[in-house]
Amino acid sequence: MQVYEVFRREREGGPMQHAGNLLAPDAELARHYAREFYGRRQESVRLWIVPRSAILDLDDPDLLQPPFDRSFKKPAGYSTEIKAKLATARSRADAGKGDE
Amino acid sequence: MSESVRVQEFNRHVASGGKVEATDWMPEEYRRAVCRFVEMHANSELMGVLPEREWILRAPTLKRKLALSAKVQDEVGHAQLLYRVAEDLGKPRADMVADLLAGKTKFHNVFHYPTRSWADVGIIAWLVDAAAIVAQQALRESSYAPYGRTMKKICWEESVHILHGRDVVLTMMNGTGSQRALVQDALERWWGPLMQMHGPRTDPAKDRDLAWRIKNKDNETLRQEFLTVYVPRIREIGLEPPDPELGQDDTGRWHYTEPDWKELYAVVTGHGPRSAERLELRRLHYAETQWVRDTVMAAPRAA
Amino acid sequence: MSAQVLETPVRTALAGLLLAMADDEFVLGFWDSEWTGIAPVLEEDVAFASLAQDEVGHAQALYQLLADLEGGDPDELAFGRPPEGYRHARLLDHPRTDWAFSVARRFLYDTADAARLDALAASAYEPLAGVVAKMRREETYHLLHMHAWVERLATGGEEPRARLAAAMERLWPDALCVLDGIEGDDLLAEAGVLAEPMAAVRRRWLAGLVPELARLGLPAPPAAQTGACRGPGRSDDFRWLWEQFTMVRRSDPEAVW
Repeated sequence: MQVYEVFRREREGGPMQHAGNLLAPDAELARHYAREFYGRRQESVRLWIVPRSAILDLDDPDLLQPPFDRSFKKPAGYSTEIKAKLATARSRADAGKGDE
Repeated sequence: MSESVRVQEFNRHVASGGKVEATDWMPEEYRRAVCRFVEMHANSELMGVLPEREWILRAPTLKRKLALSAKVQDEVGHAQLLYRVAEDLGKPRADMVADLLAGKTKFHNVFHYPTRSWADVGIIAWLVDAAAIVAQQALRESSYAPYGRTMKKICWEESVHILHGRDVVLTMMNGTGSQRALVQDALERWWGPLMQMHGPRTDPAKDRDLAWRIKNKDNETLRQEFLTVYVPRIREIGLEPPDPELGQDDTGRWHYTEPDWKELYAVVTGHGPRSAERLELRRLHYAETQWVRDTVMAAPRAA
Repeated sequence: MSAQVLETPVRTALAGLLLAMADDEFVLGFWDSEWTGIAPVLEEDVAFASLAQDEVGHAQALYQLLADLEGGDPDELAFGRPPEGYRHARLLDHPRTDWAFSVARRFLYDTADAARLDALAASAYEPLAGVVAKMRREETYHLLHMHAWVERLATGGEEPRARLAAAMERLWPDALCVLDGIEGDDLLAEAGVLAEPMAAVRRRWLAGLVPELARLGLPAPPAAQTGACRGPGRSDDFRWLWEQFTMVRRSDPEAVW
């Protein structure tokens, strides 16, 4: 027996999401059991069944949560500055109109 | 980092709502506590099947047979989901079954009692499942994330069971006089075990499962939640719980006759009316199918 | 073709066929539901329970077709007869016995039923064709699952193999009854309700199974069987089952459940 992980798509167009896992002696019965646990109520439109041993795992925080500032890669890194600069630019533009 | 500092950091992490996965470092005590908690839950689902499965054969309509079969099937499924969580913490399924059959591990009190009529099927599916779901909803936020996620799936599936149970009870209450009498009788027999189900009041400060947020609500809170929702629903259809002391004070808090905690202790340690018989039944069925597990389920197959 | 168009002898034969099929599914659904909670492995427990539920669902649809034809309602038809009134095949008189027995019985039943459904897929009686189309889709899974189990038991070692072979040996004569015992099946074939008479369906079913049985070294079917295929004599085991499934209704015949 080995552990198989099951992923499911709930509705058309949706992503495959991890649903759970089960024990089975081989791939064919693993598929049947996946259908039972994650599809018998018509709750899924597709299933992926993968032996746990086939899954590559990455959880190293040095790789996934590196410490240096990365705000240049994220929306939040710009929004505050842009807000301030926009306020300045708008008031300058308004003042300019007043001169005409 | 020393072990004790690591433990302290872990305790802070879970106390403030942090989550733990199967592959994370955890103190051995936490691992054991989660395993014991989940194992008892899994055992309960597995043993809970036994009082109900007799009635699958006796269901009086096609619709009820389908509904009850599906409900019991779900309980078996829940047992699988929960044993899987405990297995990933390091305890093989065969060991857990062996410990259950040897009486070394426990299962919830309600599954040690007999069922006497179709009305019991309705009361169990409605009220016993409801009391269980009150606890299970709180467990969705367990610090042990695999358990929390499993509880989300279980809660979703259980909601149908309660509807089925309520439907059975309502149909009988709207039926013949003898049907109504059967329901009242079932309620009277199940009320005691229901009130004991969430366990005695404990001191939250001394409850390690609470401190580690394996569970997040104490026993009395769960019981009060159950009573608040369900006593009105029981009374509104003409049923009365058999407790003259049952009522609410001005703050909405329920008072009731103190449940028999000695009975609870005796029952969960295997001395309930059906404890021995059901464990024996499990042993028998498990032995009867051992040859399948030893052969077909064991050998690796050529692709 | 609708019910009104059917001439009496064809209508009677059709009612007989529907009752036989519905009773087959109903009784099998009951025996297999006994494995709920006590199957060899939890994952398989859930799978086998689904198969049993599917049969009850099919029975419900077939009893409805019969009710539409003759009056009454599915629950009355399903629960309201004495044991002698049931028309399921003798194969379904056996209790679940052990795992190999249940696998063997289900394998024989599902494959025979598949052949029967094939012969009804293009039925001139439209309501039946509609129900059969849905049943065949659900049966896809049943066949996959039961072939998987027969394969695994046959090749899983001495004990699984011996148990399976013994069960099949014992069940074969009764299995032949699934595609037998339908009175007026020749009339149904002439009317286009059935694609061909049951004897031809049976031949097709057996021919389809022979290669797999030979490959797995499992017992071949006997040339023929004797005895009544579909009652009225019923086994003690079925009578026990009948007591169980009618118990609550008999306790209060006026009640709605």
